[in-house]
Amino acid sequence: MLISTPTTVADALFELGNENTLAVGGGTSIALMLKNRLIEPDRLVLLNRVPTLSGVDERSTDTDTVRIGATSTLLQLMHSPLVNSALPMLSFASSRVGNPRVRSVATIGGAIVHGDPRQDLPPVLLALGATAHIVGPSGERDVPLSEFFIGFMESAASEDELVTEVTVPRVQGQRTHYTRFTPGSEDDYPTVGVAIAMTLADDRSVKDVKIALGGVDSTAFLATEAAALLIGNRPTDELIAAAGKSAASRANPSDDQRGSEAYKRAMVDVWTRRTITACLSD
Amino acid sequence: MNVKMTLNGEPFSAETPSDGLLVDVLRLNGFTGTKEGCGVGVCGACTVLVSDVPVASCIYLAALAEGQDVWTVEGLTEKDSALLNAFVEKEGMQCGICTPGQVVSAYALGIENPTANEEEIREFMAGNLCRCTGYVTITESVRAYLASK
Repeated sequence: MLISTPTTVADALFELGNENTLAVGGGTSIALMLKNRLIEPDRLVLLNRVPTLSGVDERSTDTDTVRIGATSTLLQLMHSPLVNSALPMLSFASSRVGNPRVRSVATIGGAIVHGDPRQDLPPVLLALGATAHIVGPSGERDVPLSEFFIGFMESAASEDELVTEVTVPRVQGQRTHYTRFTPGSEDDYPTVGVAIAMTLADDRSVKDVKIALGGVDSTAFLATEAAALLIGNRPTDELIAAAGKSAASRANPSDDQRGSEAYKRAMVDVWTRRTITACLSD
Repeated sequence: MNVKMTLNGEPFSAETPSDGLLVDVLRLNGFTGTKEGCGVGVCGACTVLVSDVPVASCIYLAALAEGQDVWTVEGLTEKDSALLNAFVEKEGMQCGICTPGQVVSAYALGIENPTANEEEIREFMAGNLCRCTGYVTITESVRAYLASK
């Protein structure tokens, strides 16, 4: 296996043009997969020496979008003044991933490209309406995360492309909540992760809401039907219960050590309801 | 491949397979203070400092350490005597296998949040497992170390 250490995005793209090549952000997942021989790439392209890929654009305080470089670490997201003030759900979720040693290395770009549905950032970024900026040999494109996760550990970015940036809209008056339900150990992957971003109209009806779930299908996903039940209405207990049921029926969990299929589905119902309620009571 | 870094303040280079892990590069070159416990980044025994942040060296590709400033328990305890003194005075160890990781994490907390309160100390140290369950004295050691700063 060869190692490439580009210092510019252009050089990184050139190296990614080689066969069977993987880009490495912090490498926390890739190192584990290499160790277990789950992947056998011919080349790794290390991105930790490409300075333009790292960091939150703190200058964007007066714009409606937060721009986050793909190799920004979860620790950077936890400590970014802009992320803390504009996207508190993202800094909170980052602070709950793994442990300090993982957070100081793992990157936001890695979290989405790796596409592990059990991780925390995919549902959180889905609920926030984030977009991945992708560059490749045929140009640049923006892919909303709602179209980015195309299968278990599969993303819309192809092997010769690079996610350079994640952009997240800032929404005035947005209420957000992320629940990671970890009945085993707090530092485990969640059995169910529920991320909700909601805005209310003056009459307390739901102007807009996105409900994203992690850990209960082959990808993180938006429970759009559950959200549609709420939009335009003042959320009553009955409506919230219906949204919980809708999210549970959309989930497609599998049996594993974090719970049976039936248990996870029941927990989607419970935690979707509770997370909606938490947003309403903010 | 050859990987070059600054290790405990000195220039250091070593041969490693391209998919080699930092923990193996360290241990095979005599820096056996760093232990490999779980091997999956969960237990904290292999914690080292890379450019001022704590890293699980068992899931950190050695190639990523190229050009970086790496510190292990050997170097940190030599550089900062208060670190070792705190663990000795408060008896923050039992069998010892987790101790290098606890010590490096304590140092890392001293960089990230030197005024950490009790809850923040526990939160930061939570991923450093001690199977002897000696957490009370470990937390006291960390508190004593931060107080000495």
